[in-house]
Amino acid sequence: MLLALLISNSVGNILVERYHGVPAEERLHWRSFLVKLGADNLKGAKNEELLVASHKSVYIVYTVLGDVSVYVVGKDEYDELALAEVIFVVTSTIKDVCGKLPSERLFLDKYGKICLCLDEIVWTGILENSDKDRIKRLIRLKPPAEF
Amino acid sequence: MAQPLVKKDDDRDDEADYSPFLGIEKGAVLQEARVFNDPQLDARRCSQVITKLLYLLNQGETFTKVEATEVFFSVTKLFQSRDIGLRRMVYLMIKELSPSADEVIIVTSSLMKDMNSKTDMYRANAIRVLCRITDGTLLTQIERYLKQAIVDKNPVVASAALVSGIHLLQTNPEIVKRWSNEVQEAVQSRAALVQFHALGLLHQIRQNDRLAVSKLVTSLTRGTVRSPLAQCLLIRYTSQVIRESATNTQTGDRPFYDFLEGCLRHKAEMVIFEAARAITELNGVTSRELTPAITVLQLFLSSSKPVLRFAAVRTLNKVAMTHPMAVTNCNIDMESLISDQNRSIATLAITTLLKTGNESSVERLMKQITNFMSDIADEFKIVVVEAIRSLCLKFPLKYRSLMNFLSNILREEGGFEYKKAIVDSIVILIRDIPDAKESGLLHLCEFIEDCEFTYLSTQILHFLGIEGPKTSDPSKYIRYIYNRVHLENATVRASAVSTLAKFGAMVDSLKPRIFVLLRRCLFDSDDEVRDRATLYLNTLGGDGSVVETDKDVKDFLFGSLDLPLVNFETSLKNYEPSEEPFDINSVPKEIKSQPLAEKKAPGKKPTGLGAPPTAPASTVDAYEKLLSAIPEFADFGKLFKSSAPVELTEAETEYSVNVVKHIFDGHVVFQYNCTNTIPEQLLEQVTVAVDASEAEEFSQVVTKPLRALPYDTPGQIFVAFEKPEGVPAVGKFSNMLRFTVKEVDTTTGEAEEDGVEDEYQLEDLEVVAADYMLRVGVSNFRNAWENMGVDCERVDEYGLGPRESLAEAVNAVINLLGMQPCEGTEVVPSNSRSHTSLLSGVYMGNVKVLVRIAFGIDGPKEVAMKLAVRSEDETVSDAIHEIVASG
Repeated sequence: MLLALLISNSVGNILVERYHGVPAEERLHWRSFLVKLGADNLKGAKNEELLVASHKSVYIVYTVLGDVSVYVVGKDEYDELALAEVIFVVTSTIKDVCGKLPSERLFLDKYGKICLCLDEIVWTGILENSDKDRIKRLIRLKPPAEF
Repeated sequence: MAQPLVKKDDDRDDEADYSPFLGIEKGAVLQEARVFNDPQLDARRCSQVITKLLYLLNQGETFTKVEATEVFFSVTKLFQSRDIGLRRMVYLMIKELSPSADEVIIVTSSLMKDMNSKTDMYRANAIRVLCRITDGTLLTQIERYLKQAIVDKNPVVASAALVSGIHLLQTNPEIVKRWSNEVQEAVQSRAALVQFHALGLLHQIRQNDRLAVSKLVTSLTRGTVRSPLAQCLLIRYTSQVIRESATNTQTGDRPFYDFLEGCLRHKAEMVIFEAARAITELNGVTSRELTPAITVLQLFLSSSKPVLRFAAVRTLNKVAMTHPMAVTNCNIDMESLISDQNRSIATLAITTLLKTGNESSVERLMKQITNFMSDIADEFKIVVVEAIRSLCLKFPLKYRSLMNFLSNILREEGGFEYKKAIVDSIVILIRDIPDAKESGLLHLCEFIEDCEFTYLSTQILHFLGIEGPKTSDPSKYIRYIYNRVHLENATVRASAVSTLAKFGAMVDSLKPRIFVLLRRCLFDSDDEVRDRATLYLNTLGGDGSVVETDKDVKDFLFGSLDLPLVNFETSLKNYEPSEEPFDINSVPKEIKSQPLAEKKAPGKKPTGLGAPPTAPASTVDAYEKLLSAIPEFADFGKLFKSSAPVELTEAETEYSVNVVKHIFDGHVVFQYNCTNTIPEQLLEQVTVAVDASEAEEFSQVVTKPLRALPYDTPGQIFVAFEKPEGVPAVGKFSNMLRFTVKEVDTTTGEAEEDGVEDEYQLEDLEVVAADYMLRVGVSNFRNAWENMGVDCERVDEYGLGPRESLAEAVNAVINLLGMQPCEGTEVVPSNSRSHTSLLSGVYMGNVKVLVRIAFGIDGPKEVAMKLAVRSEDETVSDAIHEIVASG
């Protein structure tokens, strides 16, 4: 299960937050845990350089992309490798939508589109699409190119 | 958007500071959402409003029921628009709002229309939305379309239906299971993602059917799997099949191993890794099988991608627990990871090295770790400390350098959990390595000189009090302890006083000096400290001359309380100050059974400090102690067996009662453990009326009722029966709980004067043949069997009649005999037609019994068995056959 997908700005304010199978009362803990993890480790990290951590039986892969930080949390079959795959799709789609590395402003300008992309990538905790070109077409309700 | 967009050529600083959602407010957005109702829809504006709604939801904002309903109804109007972008947004919005069952109906018809639309993408999205918001009844209506969608030639539609299936399987398994033919077809799809999703769903549908999973794996490992993700799934399912299939065949080859090994050469890293991990996790993996997997993992260790390094080192860390030698080849790569930027990787590398390292490399390793420790967080440090503790236990000769390391890090900055981990480690080393004792104690003494954690100080003082007096020169610790009396808070001072007293009690030569110190404590500002000093001065006795301390005093100082603290606390709270002093013997010793949920909570590992480990004392010992304290049972002789508690009430009833059967040679004692779960009631004169009319050989001799049973404080009632000596008498007993119930005012806790007599029916209880058998295993059944010889062997054959399965029959016989299955022979491999179980036990009168049973099952599930019994006494062998014959 992909437990969480969280995107924050550079100072830790939440831009997008999606949880699946995480009880409501634990979400706040996760949010602060992830933001702290980012604050401790993402300073000076290169764009799209993946960082990884594990907390109990849960894996976390996170990275920085322009002004935003992206975190994905998973367990069981979504281990660090699967999460790396997920975060790669997320970052490349965001770059694609924004046309370059996103500033916070740019990210928020494209907010609607980004939400649609995320909806195509992860659906209630399961990775659904992993190809950015395909996602780009899907959010415009166009069938995939290879079809 | 509501705010004007900043033009592209504007100042960048502005851009960074300015959010398009600045000052966004729920009420205003809900107002804006009225545009959804316009007769002339402005698609662009509607999309913008939906974006804002999404932003609000993603920020954790919630809509009230009324607000959500209103937004939902407005959103459904947008189905009229033909704008594609807006339609996509509408799908997302409906999913986010997740309307309630009575609202869903509004949107169902629109979605059903989309689901049959010619536009593929409408179909895919409508499926996803419908499945998200639908319930079972609607599902049966759309099932036909979903089945079609699974085999749709558009991969997006197929994937949408398959992923929906994965979700629906949780809520409506019986419906989704009907789709397995279509899903099976989708597994063969040429589209990579469809195959991945179909494989996942098919496995979930069939996961309980081992044969089907095995077939699936066999066919797919021969065929082609297109996406790396699906390949990873396949590897996981394969290792599951390997786990469940017996490692049979004379060649010793493992089925599917070649497939796993082949995957190590796949082009996707994900697959290589999955295969390597699967190989390392095989049951009883041999080093020949491990080698290729370790080799690829070693390559990953020097990968440029942190995720791969992490994955590799994490897996190797696990392998190191079981096969440390296999990992040693990677040690050089691992050492370079100690300086890895990513601290998770570095910590895993270190702990792995600590597991694989040999005695000679310890010093070098410690040097590297010392540099590393300063720049990692406490949680990582704790892991390292724990690894060092186990390394030290592995190489006791190296305790000096490891203990030095621990004491050095103890002096550095750190939080409570970290310090506690270090202290616990030192304590464990002191306990397990006698040579390390003196230096370890001194390290702890130095630590409490400057310790900011009261909890740790008191724990260490307690530990010093037990271990310190046994050292060669106890006097050197006194200074550290007495310093606490001057410098610390009251809690620590009180502990220090207790510790001093213990030194005084154990070391007679120190007694006069300890007395001087204790007398000074009489003027402490805290009453607890003064009280303790007074108490100890009096108990240690006399004037502080060099005399030997009484045994009673030592027992008082060093003996454990021997009561569950929770019960003690409840009893003290229930005690009303009166003429009658509090009687410590009235505290129940039975530990209240916890609700199941609590038991499941991850148990904390026993730590080094705190009470000395008392756990190993078996429950039988505890029962023996309990029964021997009751004078009426004194002449029953030695307790032969105590059964596991048998519940006599259902869960969550007013009164919870279970019973333990204690078997003596000529008596049986029933111990009824009762708990009153009603706060408004106090039960008095509680007893159990036992009707033994269906147990002819038993006659009741003693009943020990319970005087009072307050809320939530367990109590015990005993009823003893006499039975013919040495005879395994059986029978059925019906039980009735009788008591006087008094109302309790929960606000004051006071019970009313008058009570009402009442009774409560309990379930029946049986004494069966298995109660006369102790489950005692033997390490080598074959040897034991041969040694027992054929003199007292009895063999016979029995038909067990039709049975559900062979496993069920085997279990029934084992339970009937109450014996210990040996060498894992209680487990029956699935689909087997015959099985042999080896059992061992000790029969009443301390007679060893061994049993060998060959089971067989035929077509109509008729089970027959051949029972061979060997024991030291032929009458016992006969008795076992009698049990089976009458069972």
